[in-house]
Amino acid sequence: MSVHVGDEAEMGVVQFQKKRTVWETLTSEKYFKWTLLIPLLAVLSVFMLYPLFFCIDESLYESTLTGKTGFVGWENYRAVLHDAAFWLSLRNTFQILLLSLAGELALGIGIALLWNREFRGQNTIRGLCFLPLLASPLAMSLVWNVLLHYDVGLVNQILLAVGIPKIQFFSMALGKYSIALINIWQWFPFSVFVLLAGLKGLPKDAFEAAKVDGASAWYTFRKLTLPMLSPLIMIIVLLRTMWLIRLFDPIYGTLRQAREAETLDYFVFRIAFSYFDIGIGSTLAVISLFLTIIICAILFRYLMLALGAAKR
Amino acid sequence: MFWVATGVILIIVLVPLLWMYSTMFKTPEQVYTMGLKGFIAFVPTLENFKYIFSFTTFFLEIRNTFIIAVSSTVLVMAVSIPAAYSFARWNTGAGNLLFVTISSRMFPPALAAIPFFFLFTKTGMIDTHPALILLYLYFNMSFATFLLFGFFREIPKELEDAAMVDGYGRMQILRRIVFPLIGPGVAITAVFCLVFAWNEFFFASLFTRIDARVVSLGMPIWAHGSGTIQWGFMMVVTGLALIPTLVAAWFMQRYIVRGLTFGAVKG
Repeated sequence: MSVHVGDEAEMGVVQFQKKRTVWETLTSEKYFKWTLLIPLLAVLSVFMLYPLFFCIDESLYESTLTGKTGFVGWENYRAVLHDAAFWLSLRNTFQILLLSLAGELALGIGIALLWNREFRGQNTIRGLCFLPLLASPLAMSLVWNVLLHYDVGLVNQILLAVGIPKIQFFSMALGKYSIALINIWQWFPFSVFVLLAGLKGLPKDAFEAAKVDGASAWYTFRKLTLPMLSPLIMIIVLLRTMWLIRLFDPIYGTLRQAREAETLDYFVFRIAFSYFDIGIGSTLAVISLFLTIIICAILFRYLMLALGAAKR
Repeated sequence: MFWVATGVILIIVLVPLLWMYSTMFKTPEQVYTMGLKGFIAFVPTLENFKYIFSFTTFFLEIRNTFIIAVSSTVLVMAVSIPAAYSFARWNTGAGNLLFVTISSRMFPPALAAIPFFFLFTKTGMIDTHPALILLYLYFNMSFATFLLFGFFREIPKELEDAAMVDGYGRMQILRRIVFPLIGPGVAITAVFCLVFAWNEFFFASLFTRIDARVVSLGMPIWAHGSGTIQWGFMMVVTGLALIPTLVAAWFMQRYIVRGLTFGAVKG
């Protein structure tokens, strides 16, 4: 630890003073880092602990908007876990999650590789691709609702012009894919930008050596690029998973009537705020929380592994 | 080949947005026209705009959204910047505290929504600005702290140590050295927080009714209202609501690209 001139002077001053002011204590070397955290910790405790305890509490009762009507213990949890609709919404959530992630990553890697070079107008083009990220998910869901409309939608009109029969995008069978499509359209720029930044940071030597040795492009990609990008890919997976587990806006904007394609968060929304069954709603929320934490913890471990592997 | 691919990508990215902006100017009949031609060749009309501006609470919504987004972003910055600095410089809490902060992002919105719905109803805070501002503060805080943490790590410790040798106090170091260096990082984070608050829907729909209505609420109304869907009106609201985010992003464009590459390259 380096010696600071300031430190000695401070210590000398302390010996002469009996009491330091609160401000001086807070900004002193030892406590400053915690002082900085005070606002954050305050907000965290209020907004994290309070809802958590409230929901755990409520989930043990049968209650509606007017208040608790009876202690039911684990009954709520049992009811939820036996509810087919719950499992359906869970399955839907994960199907959409996997579809969206796969699409986003595939497109992301492809486009990042494509654009990993200097080309004319690159700033403008890359800037334009940023737009889907900025749009309100709800707004874009509404727009896509129309674009994929069976009769009026642009996509079907184009298909007709090319000679392909129209597709019922929001049917029970295809609903999930349509929502995944909306997600992919909105979020693939995220993958593109992150991976592009990552590509730019890769050391050139390994790639040049591979080229000298005559490695094909595909081989280079598989053995060099992909492993080196794996930490970033894991970060994208982690962040997007956290986001996609609580997918809500596109469902609200498109399939509001269709129960078949409901996702977990929409299910919670319906139970808690349309039926006002707070007891079950809280139960769902708690279950949802634990699910998310477990999944994210697993992903986090993979991320750490990937980071370790890439450091080679 | 490269340009073909890039062109296709651009088309896919832009078509929905272009469609949205063109529908703003169409009458209902024009919207329902079959065939590709109907999308491009039509006589624009300002009817939709007139309706939206005179018969709905559009301007109120814009005003509310603006207040809420800006206020919550300012608050988030005030909380996150010191915290991120603390995490980056001293690794306070040895990584665990940081994880807890980030995990607040993992909370299902419903988990937070239910208790606060009750709380706000009892304290009469439903349909007020502070309600949403506080909620967005909580939600954005973890994300902002995480982002800023990455940016703060960029700043070499030596700079600060040199200043301390020169006799600067902690607060002075913050002000004179650290703050100028994190300009781009703060800009990006602020833009993300603004955009998120602006586009958010779930909490907005639950916690506002009339006075503090947000633009996000003005959109689905047209889709689930009476009988037929009023595409024209809906697109006006949607399209206009999008413009501030686009403007904000345009200003931050330079910073965004630079900042994203900064963090990823070093980490």
